[in-house]
Formats: sequence, C-alpha cells, structure tokens
Amino acid sequence: MPPMDSIDELAFPIAAGAARSAQPSEIEREVMDLFEQFRNPLLRYAFSFGIPVHDAEEVVQEVFLSLFRHLQSGKSRKNLRGWIFRVAHNLALKQRYANQRSCDKAASDWIPEEHADPSPNPEEHLSSAQRQRRLLAVVQALPEADQGCLRLRAEGLRYREIASVLGMSLGAVSISLTRSLARLIRADGR
Amino acid sequence: MSNQDLHLSDQELLLAADGELPLRRATQVHAHLAACWSCRSRMAEIEATIADFARTHRQTLDPQLPPISGPRALLRAQLAELASQSEPSSWRRLFQFAPSVRAAAVLCAGVAMAALAGGLLLHHFSPGRTNAAVASLERTAVPDRSLTPGATRSVTVSDVCSMPHEEVIGDVSASLRQEVFHEYGIANARAGDYEIDYLIAPGLGGTEDIHNLWPQPYTSRTWNAHVKDALEERLHQMVCEGKLDLSTAQRDIATDWIAAYKNYFHTDRPLQRNSHLESALVAVQRGPSRRRRFPYAEVESSGGHGA
Repeated sequence: MPPMDSIDELAFPIAAGAARSAQPSEIEREVMDLFEQFRNPLLRYAFSFGIPVHDAEEVVQEVFLSLFRHLQSGKSRKNLRGWIFRVAHNLALKQRYANQRSCDKAASDWIPEEHADPSPNPEEHLSSAQRQRRLLAVVQALPEADQGCLRLRAEGLRYREIASVLGMSLGAVSISLTRSLARLIRADGR
Repeated sequence: MSNQDLHLSDQELLLAADGELPLRRATQVHAHLAACWSCRSRMAEIEATIADFARTHRQTLDPQLPPISGPRALLRAQLAELASQSEPSSWRRLFQFAPSVRAAAVLCAGVAMAALAGGLLLHHFSPGRTNAAVASLERTAVPDRSLTPGATRSVTVSDVCSMPHEEVIGDVSASLRQEVFHEYGIANARAGDYEIDYLIAPGLGGTEDIHNLWPQPYTSRTWNAHVKDALEERLHQMVCEGKLDLSTAQRDIATDWIAAYKNYFHTDRPLQRNSHLESALVAVQRGPSRRRRFPYAEVESSGGHGA
C-alpha cells in the first residue's frame, strides 16, 4: 500500500500569515502536543536500531523539526503518526550507518547482556526476567523487517501505518507479524 | 469460511485480535470463536504473546530513556527559532492537487473499495462496549449546537464544484480530535465507535475548525454517518447543478442535518443502505477518496494496544 499521506488537505489559515509574536503559533503548539504523545515511543523505536540513546534522542528532535516544516508548508496531515515514525525510521537508519562508518561500534546495549537460549523448554520454570530475555533474544534473531513490524506493533501502530513506515504491503505486515508471533509462542513453550 | 469445522489460521486470529479485519469478516470470526474452543485458546495465546512482547519492549527500554523535560525544552527553543526565521508561506492550494498526488491517491482507491466491501466503512470490531458508552453514542447523532454551530470559509460555488465532492476532505489532526472528544466529555472512546465528522462538509465550504467538528457515532442505527454522507453528496450535487444556493446548503446542514435529509430526499426515514452503497461505489470508481473516516484508535497514543 502506498503511503497514506498522499492527499493534500486544506491549508491551515490560522498559523499561516499570522504576524510573528512571542506567542507560539498554532503549529508550534501542535508539534509540542505530538511530541508529548510520541517522544517515548519514537525514542524506543529509534533506540532499538542499536544506536546510542543520545543519538536516538537527536533523531527524535530532528523528526519534530521536520514535522514542523512539514506542517508549516501546508503539507498533508494524513496519517501523521505513520509519517512521524517513517521519518524516525529513516533518520535512525542513517544514524546507524554513520556510526558504523566511523567505526563507532553500534551499541546494541538495549538488549540485556547475556542472550538466553531461545529454545523452548516447558519443564523449566522461567522467572519473568528470564522470559523477557528469551523473548528479546528471539526478536533479535528475526529478520530486520520482522523486528520492525513487531516493534511498531508494540507501539500501537495500525497495520497500514506499519506498512507505510516500512514500505511494505498490508499483507506483508500481517504475514510478518503472524510469523514472528508463532516464533515467540514456540520459544515461550506455551 | 463460515464453516465451523474449519479452524481459523493464526494470521486471521491475529488480524482479529488487532482489529484489522473488515467488519463483516470480524463478525464471522467472532462467531466462530464463540463456538470453537480450540481457536479460542489459540487466540488467547496469540493475544497474551503480543501483550507480553509489548510489555517487555517497554520494560527493557524505558529505564534507559532520559527524562522528557530536557528534550522538551530543547525542542521548544528550536521551534521558536525555526518559526522566527521562516516566513510563513501564504496559504495556497486550497483546491489543488499535484498530479503525482492524484496518482498515489488512485492507488488507494483499492483500499477504499475493500473497506466498502467489508461493510461500507473502515469499521473496527469493538467488543465489550459498555452500556454507558452506548447511551452516550446515541446522544450525539446530532451535534450539540453550542459546541458545534458549524464553521465555513469563504468559497465560491466554482471553488466547491471544481472537484469531486469527496476529494476536498482531509483528516482531522490528532490534537484536534482529542479536543473534540474532550469538549464532548467522551473519555476512553472505544476504537471505531466514533468518527470526528465535519458538520458542514469541506466539500460544502466547511472548515477544520473545532466549531465544525463533532464526534459522530458509527453505531447509530438510523441516522448515522452513512446517511449524512449521502446528504452531503446530494447537497453538493444540487449546489453544483445550480439548484441550490451554497449558503442555504451550509445553513441547512448546520441547523439540523437530519431535517435537511428528510427535506432533500423527500423521506422520513433514511433510504436503503444499498442505494448509498451504490453511490459510494460510483464515487470509488470515479476516483479515490472516501477515506476520511478513520477510527479514533488510529491517532491514539501508543497505549492503544497490547499492554
């Protein structure tokens, strides 16, 4: 499915043309509202690309500055959440690439130290920390696109939004999530 | 697959759990689940695993996230600077579409079509709605006039008629939707129970203004969003054919859209759904577009699922 933010909507006359004053404009306020709402989800998402957290934080700042320009130039408000995550996705990828280039070994510190053995063992009683480690290890072993689907799903995105962030079809999102969940269920020995 | 003997696939169970099935299919799936213990337990497994992962995802990452206050202040300062540098562009393109945009939009028509087939709307299955919520749903079939008197911009008839009615519709921003729900005192709106609707449709010169938006329940049996859609199209058509004054159309739909419907369709009850469906299908064949109706859940914050 193509990105959904394709239909222009009415320009917002409120902010446009208003004389510049000390007061934040309508668009600034809107961007700040969205920041409150999506800063943590976006930071988690960017961070899960294996970039250091301060880099992830910069990615998030850049996302909202882009959003401001996007809205200010009167562009589409369709699927803003998808748009925001898509920009974060691209910037995080770019950042990771840059980090790898500078031989700065990408810190994959978001996953806890030792990797648990993902093979299922129903007999064993797992503590919740162990279970979490096991889940994460399984997720880490998934293809990158599958990981992306799962993380975006965990952040509450709808399938069409996930599709637009990752440039996949709706069907591919559904298949990817089904496959990943089947693996998680197996690994959990349910 | 209405056959009870056939079990549901994991994929379908997951789609159902995530509210991603078309309404009709969702209804069938839930009927099957009610009768099939094996699918029900698989469904429970799937749901528990999603919830587990969502929780794990947060619990491992959240302790590592710095507090929001610093980044918030930084962003606010950067925005202020950015805003003072850039001259705001004058508003343009009220009714213009770039060709590439149109092409992309045409691709979306297939999606709109699928949605129509699935029950006319992108309508999500929402189990477990409380009676209180249902009661509040019925109240808002007609908007509260003090909150939603309607708002328009100055447009000419040729502006309004220079493009098909549906194409001037944009999605309402997340924060504005929140505001409207708040204004109407609707907390915890269930996904798909409401759409934020324009009282005066953009195609008739209505604006994306809080005074022109109200939460319209999908679930009203008789006077619902489909019916209002049909009215909007009828009025647009009449205005463009010169049979009706634009300002009259605006006033009538803002005053009491149900009365307006009765008046313009010469009926006391909404016409058959099928006749609306037909006109909607014609609209889809003509071009992209009937995609304004997205359930509230889509703009909800990250808390919408899982945990």
